[in-house]
Amino acid sequence: MTSTHARLLSVDPSPAFWVAVAAYAAAALVLLFVLGGHSRLRSLALLLVGLAFVAHGSDIGWRGVEHVHPAQSVREAIGFLSFIITGGYLLASTRYRLTLGGAAVMPVSLVLLVVARLSPAGAAPEDLSTLGRIHISLATVGVGVFALASALSVIYLVEERALRRKRFDAIAFKDNGAPLEALDRLSHRLIWIGFPIFTVALVLGAVWVSKLGESLDRPEYPLAAVTWIFYAVLLVVRQTYGWRGRKAARLTLAGFAAALIVLLIYLVRRMAG
Amino acid sequence: MSELFVVGISWRTAPVAVREKLAFRDEELVPALQAMTGSLPVAEALLVSTCNRVEVYGVARPGAEPTEQVRGFLAQQRGLPPGSVADVLYAHRGGAAIRHVFSVASALDSLVLGEAQILGQLKAAYGVAGGAGTSGPVLGRCLERAFGVAKRVRTETAIARGAANVSTVAVDLAKRVFGDLNGKSVLVVGAGKMSTLAARHLYASGAQRIIVTNRSPEKAEALAAEIDGVAKPWADLEGLLVEADVVISSTGAREPILTKALFKRVTKARRWRQLVVIDIAVPRDAEPAIGELDGVYVFDIDDLEKVVAANLAERAKAAEHAGRIVEHEAGQFEHWLRSQGVVPTIRALRERFAQVAEAELQKTLDQLARKEHSQAQQREAVQRLVQLVVNKLLHQPTAALREASPDEAGLRAEVLCQLFDLEPVSSSDAGEPGAEPAPPPGAPHSAPRAEAAPERKVAT
Repeated sequence: MTSTHARLLSVDPSPAFWVAVAAYAAAALVLLFVLGGHSRLRSLALLLVGLAFVAHGSDIGWRGVEHVHPAQSVREAIGFLSFIITGGYLLASTRYRLTLGGAAVMPVSLVLLVVARLSPAGAAPEDLSTLGRIHISLATVGVGVFALASALSVIYLVEERALRRKRFDAIAFKDNGAPLEALDRLSHRLIWIGFPIFTVALVLGAVWVSKLGESLDRPEYPLAAVTWIFYAVLLVVRQTYGWRGRKAARLTLAGFAAALIVLLIYLVRRMAG
Repeated sequence: MSELFVVGISWRTAPVAVREKLAFRDEELVPALQAMTGSLPVAEALLVSTCNRVEVYGVARPGAEPTEQVRGFLAQQRGLPPGSVADVLYAHRGGAAIRHVFSVASALDSLVLGEAQILGQLKAAYGVAGGAGTSGPVLGRCLERAFGVAKRVRTETAIARGAANVSTVAVDLAKRVFGDLNGKSVLVVGAGKMSTLAARHLYASGAQRIIVTNRSPEKAEALAAEIDGVAKPWADLEGLLVEADVVISSTGAREPILTKALFKRVTKARRWRQLVVIDIAVPRDAEPAIGELDGVYVFDIDDLEKVVAANLAERAKAAEHAGRIVEHEAGQFEHWLRSQGVVPTIRALRERFAQVAEAELQKTLDQLARKEHSQAQQREAVQRLVQLVVNKLLHQPTAALREASPDEAGLRAEVLCQLFDLEPVSSSDAGEPGAEPAPPPGAPHSAPRAEAAPERKVAT
């Protein structure tokens, strides 16, 4: 059984993976051109993002056919995370002009996908229980949504800073950046969506770990809790004290940074075996 | 050929002190236009009088050059001695006039590059000329084309992009924060003229309501009535600030009214909702330090002016491209206008030829109808007919060539050679046609060659 897993986990990336990589890179490049004033290329950029999304989805599907589940391991989950981020960006850009956001998000999606597929597979994990799979799936979706909220927060901070310093021609405003109020609101809504998902994932994770009989003193566990606390505080203070804007954006980023560290620890541990 | 001309004065050539002397009121336009076309050799005329320009666009009667007379006419109409404004009135003719009209319509000649008003003013002036019966086919075509060019310039270049005045910049900045101004409320503090303009722009951009407050309740009421707003007492300022999304401030106060201490309370009460403060008062109404507070964005008059300057610089860059479009379009229009000049000649030529051919054909047909003819006789009749038509058609030009003075004859011969693509051969070397290479098209013919042409003509 273990040997089958080792084989399955080293499944080579599909041709769709390479298409996705090329489309992500091209989309990032074209978005930079749009920022540089070539507004006519905007539809081409969105088309490339769409292509990357479809190719990325096909790659995940192809791995599914080869019996590699997207929530099978952290490595797979990172590929899935990148897919969610791209999908979320596509969805958001139907309402807002998020050129700067796209130029920032596409390279992130690209790097995550490449890490997920090309990093050393390492040793095969223990056979995953259903509980484990659900935990990884939900955690991935939750972190993906937080990633989108964080991307919006970054754009918010960049735009806000430019506006406060009265640098009206700053890169943030090239190609009509999204309005501050909309960025703030959208980011907040995403956290509302991501928070319950992440909460369930966290609880299931704790149950899973205790079932496996492992100790809870690994550094990623308290860090995951820190992420949860950041977002919980954010939601509470926004609701009760009306915190928003700059403070909210910074808190969003802090929470996401903790989540990223958790992911990184998993990945490193996995590669090290 | 009737030629387009422009005579006028603009902000480029004269200060307002001079422009205002030459300006026409709306009701004076029709009599002035009718007087001009009635008394001067001007076939069509249009008068545009705005705060930045007073210009006559006209079409001269064939052969006339009325620009000097129009200069005098304008001075006389305004009761000025003719010499007094002669220097400041410019005149363009032909292609230059077309380029000028196209530039004006495209707002390339405007004080604020790319502004939208001039196009409306030109359309109105065109309407007035139409009503006065002084616009005609040439001016009509020219103006219609100018409107088309203006549209092209606006869509293809950045000439009209970016707010070009302080009050529209205020709207732009508010939009950067809020995106859509629908449902937002605007608070006007003080009753300066600039704040009125800015509030109007915000309202036109979708802001839901405008609240006006002022130390003097009467002034607040008056301004509120003027801009469809609601006047609120000055004592409520803090509460009004809590409710507002955009604040436009322009009081005459010597000390800041919108202080940091006040705004600390206000932002907290607002729960840090975004607030855009546009302070166009000098001295400033808002302490710059309130811009450090969360969710508050303060812009003073310098910030707004800076944006205007940057946008105008962008427009100036776009003007180069726009200038090329105008140049190209004006060239095409000039070409078209020139071609229109020869249309009557072409028509007359065709008619004359058709008449001659028709007359001779009729004679021949009558002859043939009178009795039976053999085939040979019929053929002979047709040959004679063709000969007759050719002779009749060539009679007039041949005679004109022979009777012309030597210089004139040479010129006419040259023109004929060009028109009919002839290769003149002198009678001496007539035996070897084509011995000399044909001149390149359009190249000037040498004198002997030109003189040789009539001889050949005569021989045929």
